[in-house]
Amino acid sequence: MPAPIIPVHSVIAVPAVKPAPAVSDGSAFQSVFTDAISKVESFQQNAQHSVDRFLNGEGEEIHKVALATQQADLSFQMFMQVRNKVVSAYQEIMRMQV
Amino acid sequence: MSLFSSLQVAASGMSAQRTRAEMLVENMANAETTRTPQGGPYRRKDVVFSSDTQASPFSAVFQNEVGTGVRVADVVEDTSAPELRYQPGHPDANADGYVAYPKMNPAEEMVDLLNASRSYQANVSAISAVKDMIGHSLDILK
Amino acid sequence: MLNGISSNLERYMDLLSARQKLVASNIANADTPGYQTQDVDFQFEYASMIQGEQPQIIQAQGLKTKADGNNVDLDREARLLAENAVRFNVASTLLRGKIKLVQQAIQGGNGA
Repeated sequence: MPAPIIPVHSVIAVPAVKPAPAVSDGSAFQSVFTDAISKVESFQQNAQHSVDRFLNGEGEEIHKVALATQQADLSFQMFMQVRNKVVSAYQEIMRMQV
Repeated sequence: MSLFSSLQVAASGMSAQRTRAEMLVENMANAETTRTPQGGPYRRKDVVFSSDTQASPFSAVFQNEVGTGVRVADVVEDTSAPELRYQPGHPDANADGYVAYPKMNPAEEMVDLLNASRSYQANVSAISAVKDMIGHSLDILK
Repeated sequence: MLNGISSNLERYMDLLSARQKLVASNIANADTPGYQTQDVDFQFEYASMIQGEQPQIIQAQGLKTKADGNNVDLDREARLLAENAVRFNVASTLLRGKIKLVQQAIQGGNGA
């Protein structure tokens, strides 16, 4: 039977360990995510409206359509990269041995 | 408003100038025509241009300008008295021996034709420049 | 993302398209009796133009009127035609460059 652990009264004062920071609930992080999603969506909608206006002959210039489309594309790419980073960071944390 | 409508505008310019040039060539070709089916000498013709707001096949709710093209509103015949030349032996001579010739200055017609050609060219350049801009716009997507 | 400089470039290109449209109209009507040359006040419109608004069309100043009331100067229009096209193409190329940079920045995050 293993010996019970005997508390050691060391001479050197052990510095007090700071308590771990309070784990926030996931909602702040979630709202950042939903924000980003809605931004991407609004860019996509802009692009769609621009294309529609062009097709309807409402005089939408090609360069505006091109720009709106590029903007939607870029914001989506950016979002995907961020998402990938978040997922891989999460996976790394999960892999950590506690 | 769309650059595409400029293509239509420039095309209308080309068409109008071409008609003008054709009239001028017809005039010059008939500078000495003393006999026509309507009787009397050839009468020179003039084109009358008028600006023309382009209707587009998509003309739905157009708040914006579509661009002002041009069209040939009318072709008018010269109604002034013909030029009379004394040529008693001519088959078309009248009782006094005068032949009625078209009232026309070939040099003027030629200058006019050069101007029509210049204007035509300008419209061609416009189409080319606009096409180029549209091409560059699409390049943004590349 | 693209917003700061690209909205300026976009506005620039909007105005140039509008101007080019008018130049095309002027050229088509170079011989139309009574036709007055149209233009936009470029500097003013660029400084004040809000996204999506159409610029105001004004009559060009300082042109000679011919006998038939037409005041189109083909030389002026030809010059503007070339100038507008070049400026537009430069702006579009600059925009492309910007877009490429942003794309690289986004993709450059891979494996970091």
